[in-house]
Amino acid sequence: MMSLSVSLTRRKVMALGAGVAAGAIGTLPVERALAVLKLDVTQGNVQPVPIAIPEFIAVATQDPALGRNISQIIGANLQRSGLFAPIDPAAFIEKFTTIDTLPRFPDWRLINAQALVTGRVTQGEGRLKAEFRLWDVFAGQQLHGQQYTTTADNWRRIAHIISDAIYERLTGDKGYFDSRVVFVDESGPKERRIKRLALMDQDGANVRYLTRGDDLVLTPRFSSSADTITYMSYGQGDPRVYLMNIETGQREIVSNFPGMTFSPRFSPDSQRVIFSLQRGGNSNLFVMDLRSKATTRLTDTQVIDTAPSYSPDGSHICFESDRGGKQQIYVMAADGGGAQRISFGDGVYSTPVWSPRGDYIAFTKQAEGRFAIGIMRTDGSGERILTEGYHNEGPTWCPNGRVIMFFRDPGGNAGPGLFTVDVTGRNEQPVKTPSYASDPSWSPLLQ
Amino acid sequence: MRTSYTISAIGHAAVLLWSVWSLAARPLTISASDSLPVDIVTATEFSQITKGMKSAPQTEAPKPLVEKVAEAKPVEDTSAKLVEKKEVKAARETPPSPEVKPVEEKPKEPKQAEAKVDPIAEALTKEDPKHQPKKAEAKPQPPTPPKKPAPPAPKFDPKQVEALLDKRNASRLAAAGETLNSNPGLGLPNGQATQLSQSELDALRARLRELWNPPLAPSDPEELVVVVEVKFRPDGTVEGQPRVLSSGRTPMAAAARDSAVRALLRGQPFTMLRREHYDLWKDIEIKFDPREMIRG
Repeated sequence: MMSLSVSLTRRKVMALGAGVAAGAIGTLPVERALAVLKLDVTQGNVQPVPIAIPEFIAVATQDPALGRNISQIIGANLQRSGLFAPIDPAAFIEKFTTIDTLPRFPDWRLINAQALVTGRVTQGEGRLKAEFRLWDVFAGQQLHGQQYTTTADNWRRIAHIISDAIYERLTGDKGYFDSRVVFVDESGPKERRIKRLALMDQDGANVRYLTRGDDLVLTPRFSSSADTITYMSYGQGDPRVYLMNIETGQREIVSNFPGMTFSPRFSPDSQRVIFSLQRGGNSNLFVMDLRSKATTRLTDTQVIDTAPSYSPDGSHICFESDRGGKQQIYVMAADGGGAQRISFGDGVYSTPVWSPRGDYIAFTKQAEGRFAIGIMRTDGSGERILTEGYHNEGPTWCPNGRVIMFFRDPGGNAGPGLFTVDVTGRNEQPVKTPSYASDPSWSPLLQ
Repeated sequence: MRTSYTISAIGHAAVLLWSVWSLAARPLTISASDSLPVDIVTATEFSQITKGMKSAPQTEAPKPLVEKVAEAKPVEDTSAKLVEKKEVKAARETPPSPEVKPVEEKPKEPKQAEAKVDPIAEALTKEDPKHQPKKAEAKPQPPTPPKKPAPPAPKFDPKQVEALLDKRNASRLAAAGETLNSNPGLGLPNGQATQLSQSELDALRARLRELWNPPLAPSDPEELVVVVEVKFRPDGTVEGQPRVLSSGRTPMAAAARDSAVRALLRGQPFTMLRREHYDLWKDIEIKFDPREMIRG
């Protein structure tokens, strides 16, 4: 009885306290109400933004379908990003004959388009001029307008550049559509697979082969200028790290000293190449200055250190090492020394890649016979698995650090294929390639 | 003496420990919800506040309209015609006094049975298997309607709804107060009889939540916070362009601004905002903050 009365009293006191607090809070809105009412909205939706991209008006073009092709490429790019939902052109009410007048916004509101892209492509004297305007349908105003001129065969790039401009204006983030991917094209039967270096636009178009398939090629990586790649090739003898200019096809060997060199990657300024050098049963990290050819040792251990990747500011390196017993991810300063382990989950971590934004490190994680692609913050926190299954490997970041490309090998007689997944893990999509494909590397935005 | 001190000390310590422990073991949990403005007013204050007329001219020191010196009473409709309160008179002047009928004279049971025709009881007796064969013998026609039908219920004729309407002119009682004041006023400045209800605000927030599609960057979410001042028309549509109060020069801030404004423009008219509260919601400052979404 006694304790009951005590608890009752305490509850009353609390209630009284709460009442006083509520009273104190309650007086505030009354005062504010005289000025202006305030409201906080902290949740929104993550649905893709409906966008209308009518056919570009084609003026004097050789290919009458050029206008439609450009708008289709833009639509496909935006749709693949997972952030936009292009509206079926069959639903469009207004048909454009010019882009120099205001669109009839009520027509576009009716089909619930939030953004509208109108464009025109004009051909003359071998040059192609493309103009576009991006409209905010509900505000009834132009958000962006731009025109580009290029050679006629470059029309796909124009579509990608326009896609980037739309993406940047609507998301606030840099786009990634005007970029390319280098990968290992695999053809032929499983026992005698021919592996060639291949180059394509990020949407899978314009595939071009860079090697003939005589040598085995692995791990191609782009430089920051997007015109040079470094890769590892098995010719005669030990595997070596090479450089190749993808425009001229010119090749040169990076490291010509005893031992196997592998897993190369450019520094952010493209002045140096970092790689692993195997001697005996262990491998260590080295960096070579491409001008002076001076090589610096970064690690000196009796274990296997490999798969190095620079942070975008060039100050740090992440790499995988089995110095702790099994493969884990470590981060150290770019001049070596003081490596800190950052991965602590169950399983084996490999192929760490630093995001171009600098905020995350992508990795391959192997646990219980399954391979997952994931990301973690650069201090190892916030690990998030984006996709999981039998043999996913080799993540590479798109230029804005929002999407990762990787390859998946389903096993059996089938070969590997390329996929993209965004950093939320919600939007996974296959990338069309002419044959089996592995080891993708995403270029920076083209200049 | 010492023993008692020790016992007392141990006892106090124990009680103190118990209270600390029991407080710590059950932390006060506060569910996250919006605060409801609460203000305590007396009945007199309430009636003082509500006495006002919207169409009245503004005066320096507004006073409540008082037409009759009396105890304060709330006024429902100040625009209605003023009439003097009439004494309510019953239709019959002298109600039949209960004393006329002596209780003893009432032969209760038979009277009740005769006077009240209970349709249920009748139906029951009809359905009674004992009675049915008898009735069948007495009268050969089975679908005989009951001899004494139940008194007809008042029929509802939808065509004569008008007859039911109160055709008296709208009237109101005199505004009463301590001192007479024949000038109608706008009401007192601290009047709060009409407050925007929390449910209206919640409905507005829910609608914006459906419409708002913020750009979600993996990092740097600070610049994604947008504060918009929006002026509404009485029909719930947005007047002009919503004014963005937050400043940010980056493309991310621009995209965030557009997404917030777009949500407001797409959602109009905001019909959940009631017109009688227009003075309160004609100008709202809305903060769009997607950081919680990014943190997940």
